[in-house]
Amino acid sequence: MIGSIPLSDVLLASGALFSIGIAGVLLRRNAIQIFLSIELMMNAANLALLGYGAAMGTHEGQIIVFFVIAIAAAEASVGLAIFVALFRHTETIDVNKIRLLKW
Amino acid sequence: MTVARFVFDAAAAVAVLFGGLMVVTRNSVRSVLTLVVAFFALAVTYVMLLSPFIAAIQVIVYAGAILVLFLFVLMLLNIGHIPAERSGPLQTLLGSLGVVLFAALLLGTLRGAGASIPAPTGETPQVLSDPASLSRELFSKYLLHFEAVSVLLLAALVGAFVLARREKQP
Repeated sequence: MIGSIPLSDVLLASGALFSIGIAGVLLRRNAIQIFLSIELMMNAANLALLGYGAAMGTHEGQIIVFFVIAIAAAEASVGLAIFVALFRHTETIDVNKIRLLKW
Repeated sequence: MTVARFVFDAAAAVAVLFGGLMVVTRNSVRSVLTLVVAFFALAVTYVMLLSPFIAAIQVIVYAGAILVLFLFVLMLLNIGHIPAERSGPLQTLLGSLGVVLFAALLLGTLRGAGASIPAPTGETPQVLSDPASLSRELFSKYLLHFEAVSVLLLAALVGAFVLARREKQP
């Protein structure tokens, strides 16, 4: 319990968001949407971390989430740079047509 | 149901709804904008979980910087209007199967997980939500990690620059 919020509510929301992210990665072919789905999954993990941190009465949850957000910023900038370079080469955002590594 | 729980559940429901819209829509720009709404709703849930500092970071860094970076790339390359083709039947079938199995596994695991946490023995809610005591811990116990992250951000800056610049014509 965090105040009057049961931890099960937090975990349910986190699981639902993570499953939506998985659905986006598996069902979409748009590279940008796959990338955004990965960001959503990262946020679902952050929600669970904050929930556990608050339920246990420690600052560790917030500190881990702080580092996750910093690393997500680095990941997004490098990922988007790769995306820009890839789009210049292939002129498409469809991941099924980007097959440079496929014999 | 208390007010705090109602606010948390409502914000979480908005986040799940707009996260779902992000996956369903076919337009990349609309996809980014719905995710901005979902991240704002998540910031509200972070406040309810006694983490106002992380909520501010979520709004400033995630909704304000990372997603705006996505919008910049979409609009600079002018690819917002190009719809990716629909997934093939095999991908849709296997993907849906994977999603259903994964969601069942994840939610089944998480269902009983909350009960095993003992009652809070650590800080009081006032100390927990205070940014000053959070930063005291961050800059003493986790100082090395903080400095390592700053080096990582520098490396990412250089890496993004090298990857995205145009090759010189020989």
